[in-house]
Formats: sequence, structure tokens, C-alpha cells
Amino acid sequence: MSKLIRIRDLDVDIPKEARVIAERMLADLEKSKRPVLEAVKTSLDNSFYNSKVGYLTPGDKVVRTELNVSSVQKLARVVFMLEILLRNLDIGSVNTKRELYYICKGLIKGDRNLKPLDFEDQNESDSIVDFIGDMLRVYREELNCFANDRGGQTYSQQLVVTETLSDGSKATIDLSTLGTSPFQPKNKPQSLKLKVKKKVDFCLIVESEGTANTLQTMGFTRRNNCILLGAQGVPSNGVRGWCKLIQEQLDVPMYFFGDLDAYTMQNIFRTLKAGSAASLIRNADFSAPTVKFLGVLPEDVKRYDLPHYKVKESDPVEARALKKAKDALENDPFFLDKKNKGLSDILRWLLKEKIRCEQQSFFSVDPKDPIKTEKLILEKIKNGSYV
Amino acid sequence: MSKITKSSTAEYFAKNLQQVGFSSPLKAVLTTLKEAVDNSLDACEQAGISPEITVEIEKVGAGSSKNTDLVRIMVEDNGPGIEAEDLAKVYGEYLASSKFGRGQCSRGQQGIGISAATTWAQLTNAKGAVVRSKTAKMRKAVQGQIDVDIKTNTGILRNKESVDWDKKHGVRVEFVIDGRVQLNGDGGLITYLEGTVLVNPHLSINYKLLETDWVKIERVTEDVPQVPSATLPHPHTFKLGEFITHATLFGKTTLENFLKTGFSRVTDASIKDFVAKGLPKALLAKSVSSLKDEEFKKIFLAVQNTDLQSPSTKSVLTVGEEALSKSIQRLGEIDFFAVVTRKPTICDYKPVSVEVALARFKNRNLDADEPVQLLRFANRVPLQFDKSGCAITWAIESVNWKSYGLSQPKKSLPIGPYIFAISIVSPFIKFKNASKETIDASDDLVEEIRRALMQAGQKLSRHIKKEFKEADLERKLAHIEQFGPILVETLVRLTKSNQTRKKKAEEGLKKLLGRDSQAAIEDLEEADKKLSEQKKREAKKLGLDEGDLEHV
Repeated sequence: MSKLIRIRDLDVDIPKEARVIAERMLADLEKSKRPVLEAVKTSLDNSFYNSKVGYLTPGDKVVRTELNVSSVQKLARVVFMLEILLRNLDIGSVNTKRELYYICKGLIKGDRNLKPLDFEDQNESDSIVDFIGDMLRVYREELNCFANDRGGQTYSQQLVVTETLSDGSKATIDLSTLGTSPFQPKNKPQSLKLKVKKKVDFCLIVESEGTANTLQTMGFTRRNNCILLGAQGVPSNGVRGWCKLIQEQLDVPMYFFGDLDAYTMQNIFRTLKAGSAASLIRNADFSAPTVKFLGVLPEDVKRYDLPHYKVKESDPVEARALKKAKDALENDPFFLDKKNKGLSDILRWLLKEKIRCEQQSFFSVDPKDPIKTEKLILEKIKNGSYV
Repeated sequence: MSKITKSSTAEYFAKNLQQVGFSSPLKAVLTTLKEAVDNSLDACEQAGISPEITVEIEKVGAGSSKNTDLVRIMVEDNGPGIEAEDLAKVYGEYLASSKFGRGQCSRGQQGIGISAATTWAQLTNAKGAVVRSKTAKMRKAVQGQIDVDIKTNTGILRNKESVDWDKKHGVRVEFVIDGRVQLNGDGGLITYLEGTVLVNPHLSINYKLLETDWVKIERVTEDVPQVPSATLPHPHTFKLGEFITHATLFGKTTLENFLKTGFSRVTDASIKDFVAKGLPKALLAKSVSSLKDEEFKKIFLAVQNTDLQSPSTKSVLTVGEEALSKSIQRLGEIDFFAVVTRKPTICDYKPVSVEVALARFKNRNLDADEPVQLLRFANRVPLQFDKSGCAITWAIESVNWKSYGLSQPKKSLPIGPYIFAISIVSPFIKFKNASKETIDASDDLVEEIRRALMQAGQKLSRHIKKEFKEADLERKLAHIEQFGPILVETLVRLTKSNQTRKKKAEEGLKKLLGRDSQAAIEDLEEADKKLSEQKKREAKKLGLDEGDLEHV
């Protein structure tokens, strides 16, 4: 099988690096010395943010796993999974995390001695895959472990995508020829080259896939030189990498349009713009720092008299989001950075007012005009009504 | 305007039997049994007799009401017996009690329960209680059927006859009622009987429930608890209305005399203090029957505003750690248990004593994922319904059991295959309802129960810690055996190494993990040592041989 397209210029030779680690562990054991594995600590307390860089980067903290009677299970699982991943790399085979879980099950089933390694559920095997990625400081895609391509359906009359396939041939997709079908980016967007037929004025990322579809159906991309895409909730790696690619290759203004609530601000927008603490080592290629928060803004609620709701603090999900928002204001380097004061002010406002306002509330402004939401979005872009 | 009629006490209870524990066929059987056993135990204790009770419950046909059986409940004791002329009063008249308001820790208090059982039998089966009684002085026993005359609240003894009875003294009472029988679970008869056995170490009991075999449980102590003599109420427990009513019982005596003889902890010095706090001195010599309401109010306020010595705790009875330790072993083979008897103390100006027994049984099939089985007792009577509103339940839920090694969902009972038995004894227990199913939760009382539970929890945690260490060691040893070879073999494959390196690495690994398991063994030994020290201390405290005591 031919080699897969590389995601980035990686300075690590994964098979070589893995063997170095294995060699070190074995040598330690021979000397009755406890082998140690170290992985980047992927948590908020090891995240740094510099507005010039634009995304969360890892600090010096590491998770150290030293061999003892309690950790011997984890170490055995790590080397077991590492062997599977190295074989995949060697033969050019790819898998999802769920498939890896079943591959492990299959191998364990076939060898009685491996039975103690068995994973009770997928979470257990996932955490081992993540640990290996963080240990080698590589993306899971670089270990040939790919996620489901969720979200990111893209519409444009101007955009032309050229994809380099694994056999070296190229495929060209002119989005204007797809009719009502969207273009679906894959989660290895770095194999794509972007071109525009005519200057694109902006790229709009809509939180709700449905609303993106409505805008498109009503002619949004026909009337505007733009790229329109739906994020489908928390952006997947595919969506994040795709936005990064648009930013890098086309250099167009990017706007995010979603709900006004603590969850959207922290989990959806922050991840899109600056990545997340869980994916510290990959944020560089999976975040689009120039994206602006177009709304719904607190001032829109008043200006357009948008219907909104009181956050129910008795609802555990909403209560958790509020608590997380409070924590974010105290500990999240992204919201603590003064360049992002506008965004943290929105979080503070949400904590104070305890309301939420959905993106679809724009449809209440002039219910008889089917393209009123489009008009409002354009008006906001024109007036600089974004953060 | 409709005519206002006056009904008798019996009429009132006949219409409101649900208030005194007869709210369902299931509860009717349990309440009847409970009332009869309570009376037997109280009678034996008052006469200084070690109680020997026989209970037989069987289905004798279909009940007259829907979904019920006709159930025969028989309770026989070796108590002092009841004189023939008192039988009708005891079983057929409401509020005819020898114990009402006496300030004693007796089980029964008002004289409602057993008459209610007679009423239930009469209402559902048209036949009251059949009683046989013999006192030491009688040559033959007296037997008859007792009905409640509901209109007049008097008991009627019918078919009275003299019968031979090969018993020196005692009472046998039999009810045939509509009901349903549940043996296990919170409201079950076995749960009731076992609870009664637990907190009455001096009780021997024989019982047969439905088709099961006779069960015989022997007493573990010959000491009949000395029910402490009655105590006078403390003035701070009164409300104004109660205070005035209490005064009227004293008739023409002077106020000073009423205060000194009607209450505990009121001395000459306190009378002076009352005056200092605003009690008009002139009233002291006045007769209480001539006092006006406003004067009562002044007196009452002065009394409430004066600091008084706390009431005496002498009127409280406890089962005791030693007796409880022995008694709990009658319920089955015990894995381990912890008992705590708190010193009597004062809660809300009332003397109270709290005792706790936590146990795990070997063969009771208690579910490890279910909440602990809770046994609540008030004055040594099991409480089996409405546990959620009870002071005992509140106290358990307020303790952080996680710190003692038990898992516990938020604001709930802890989880595990344990029995938690908590007993509250006080001459003035405040119940939430007349059927005495839940203890009213005052802050003071909940705190006192909580303290007892925490003491027991500390003992329990030593045991759990040891078990945890044992499991930990086992897990660690298993880990070495299971994962060590996989780790080494995979590393050898990844590095394409030879067998010599493999062998060397295996030895190195064994050495490393061996050190860890040695540390785990030492941990376990340390936990074991702490536990046996605890056992020694307990044994010494209870004056037992260490070997006798398997509990923590």
C-alpha cells in the first residue's frame, strides 16, 4: 500500500522513536531499574496562550508513569497498543479508535496469555492511544488512527479544492458544481489545496448544521462571495483542520455564528479558535486563531429584541456549564489574555445575567422575511459587530 | 344547624385506626403482633421476670375484605398475668394505661395499641381478642373473649371461664384478623422479631410464622433490665398550654409547691431566680387553681428565662455494649461488627441514650450494591415504616461514610452488605405520629445520633481498611504474575532482542515488583496489628476474653 499523505512535516520518525523507548525500557529492566514513560500533560494547568501564537500550547509538565505493581498493567497495555500502531504504520493500514478497540479484543481472544490485558470498554483503549500520542508528541492521525469526519459541510460558488490522493494522483472539486450537495472535508485537510475563482469576502462558520443549510438553500452563497460551513456543534478534528486550512491558504476574514451561552463560548468557539487543553500537542494544526465571534452577542439580544431564556440552575448540564465558565475566567489562559477581553466579557455577562439566546432567534426579527437572518449577519459583518 | 354530637374515645379510634398503625392489611398484622409483644415485654420487666415469649402466626382462611387472609396471631408470655377484673380494661378500653405520662422508658405509653388491635379484630372478623391469664395467686387460669364497646369505650369480657393451664403465670392473647403477612423486608414480621431479639438480650423467644419451622432463640443474659424509676418532666420542655394543663392536675396547692413538686430541677434557689427574672413574688403563695391566664404567662416566661440545671439522665435505660455484642450474634454468623453505647445525654432538655450496632453477616445474602439494611428502635421497639422522615435516617445520611470506607450516594444511606441498628431510649421520645413509626428530628438529637454513628464508623473503618489492604495485596501479586510476562515479551519483540536479554529483563522485573509486594505485605501486617490492638482494647473494656470477641 502506498504511503499516506503526511499531515505536517514531522521531525519525529515514529517507528524509530518507539523502538528507542522500548529499548530504554528493556535496558532498565535488565538493570532492575524502574522504567519510566513520560507524556505531555494535556490539561488546562499545563496550557499556555500567547495571542501572537493564537492557540493553546503545552508547558513543561509531564505525566510520569513509573513501573510498579499498580502501573504494570498500564505499561503492558501501552507497549501492546504501540505494537499494533507500529504495524499499521508499517503496512499503511488505518483505523478508528473503536476499530482499534476491537483489534485488541481480537488479538487478546486469540492468545490466552494476553487475557489480563482485555479492555472492559472503549474508554480504556482510547486512553492508551491518547497516551501514546502524547508520549511521542504526535497526532493520532500520524499514528494512522483517524476520527469520524463529522461536521464541516461547506458551500461556496468560488472555492475549488484539489486533493492529492494516496497514489499521488489529484482530484479537483469545484464546489459550485455540486448543486445542493455540500463539500465534506476529511480530517486530514493538509492533503488539500485551496483556490478561489473570484475573491472571497469572508468565511462564515455556523454552529448549527441546519441553519447553515437554510442559509445556503435561500441563496446565501449565490448572493455573497463567501465560504459557508456548518460546524455541527463541538468542532471535530476535521472541522478544526479545515478552518485552519482556509485561514492559512485563503487569508479571508472568518466569522463564527452560534448560540450565546457559556457552552458555545467555551467548548465550541474557543476550541475552533485556539484549540483545547486535551489536544495541546495538535492545536497548531487544528485551530483557526483569526476567527471572530459574530454572535449572538449580548448587544444583539437588546438591539433585535431576541427571545431568550433563563438558564435553569437546577439543570445539571447548565449548572455545570456555568461553573465551568467561572473556572475558565479564573484559570483558562485563553480567557485570561487581555487580547480576548471581549470574549471573557461575554462569559462574565452570561454568568451575571444567567440567560441563553440561540442563534435561531434571529428568525424572530422579521418572521415574514425568509432572508432576514442573512441580512442581519451581513449587517453585523459590515458594521464590525463582532468580537 | 346540624346537631353537634360527642363521640367516645373508642369511637374516634375505631374510625381512625390508620393513625395507630392499622392503615393496611399488611401493617395490621405487624402492628397487632408488635402491640402484644410490647405489652408482654413491659409486663415482664416491671415484674422482674426474664421474658419467655411464644409467637405463632398462621393463615386460617380467606379474609372478609378484598385481598386479605384471615390471620391468627397468638402471643404468649410468662409475665405476672393480669387479674381477671382488669382484663377487659387492658384489652378493651382506650387510654386505660398504667404507664401514661409517667416519664419511664417503657415501650407502651398511652394504652391505645392493644385496644386498637382488639377493635381491628372486631371490625374485620366480628370477634375481639381471646385472652387467657393466670397470676401466681390463681389456681386456674381465666379465659374469655374481650370486645370493645365502641359507644362507651369500655371493654366487655364474654364467655368467661376457668381453665387449667400448666403455667405458673402468664398471659396468652389471640387475635383473628383480616390481614396480609409479609415476612421479610422493611415491614416484615421476621425483621420485627429479629430487631426485638437484638435489643432485648434478656428475651427468649419461640416463633412460628406461617409454614416455616419453629425458631427458638435463647436469651444471652439473665439480667432483666431495671427500668429506671419515673422522672419528673423538666420545665424547659413545656409550652404555655401544657404548663397550664399540668398545673390543673395539682389542684389547690401553692404555686411554689407546684413548681417544686411538679418538675425536676426546680429548687428553692431556682424559685429565687424565677422571682429575679420577673415572677411576681406574691403569686408564690397563691393556689395554682386560682391563677389567671395572664399570671400563668408571666410565671411561664420567668421559668423559661431562668437557667436551670439540665435534667437527670438517671431515668434512661441502655442495653449496653456487652449485651448488644452478645445479642447481635443471635441473628446469624457474623463476619464482624462494631457496637457503641453513648453515655446518656440531654437533647432538647430530655434525657436520651443512643446505641449503635453495625454488623456484617456471613450468610444473609445482603446485596453489596444496595443501601445498608437499617434497623431503627425507639425505647427498644423496632420502627419499620416511614424511615425517610426519621431522625435516625437523617443522622446516618449526614455522616460522611466514604471516610470510613463505605460508598455513599449524596445525602443517602451508605451502600454495602451491612446491618445498621440504631436504638434511641428516652422517657420522652417525640414521635411524628401516633403509630410511633418515626422519631421527630430535632437538631440536638440528630447530632447525638450522628456522634454515635461516627464512633461506630471509626471502628468499622479499621476492618474495612484491613480488607482493602488484603485485596490490594492480592491484586498486586496478581498483577505481577499477569502483566509482567506480557510487558517483557512485547518489549523483546519491539526491540528484536534475544532470549538472554529476555531472561535478564524478567529477573529484573521480578526483583522490582517483589519489592512492591513486600511493601504491600508490610502494609497489611500494620493494618492487622492496629485491628487486633482495637480488639484487645474492646475486650478489656467489656471484661471478656479476647477470643470471645470477634468484633472490632
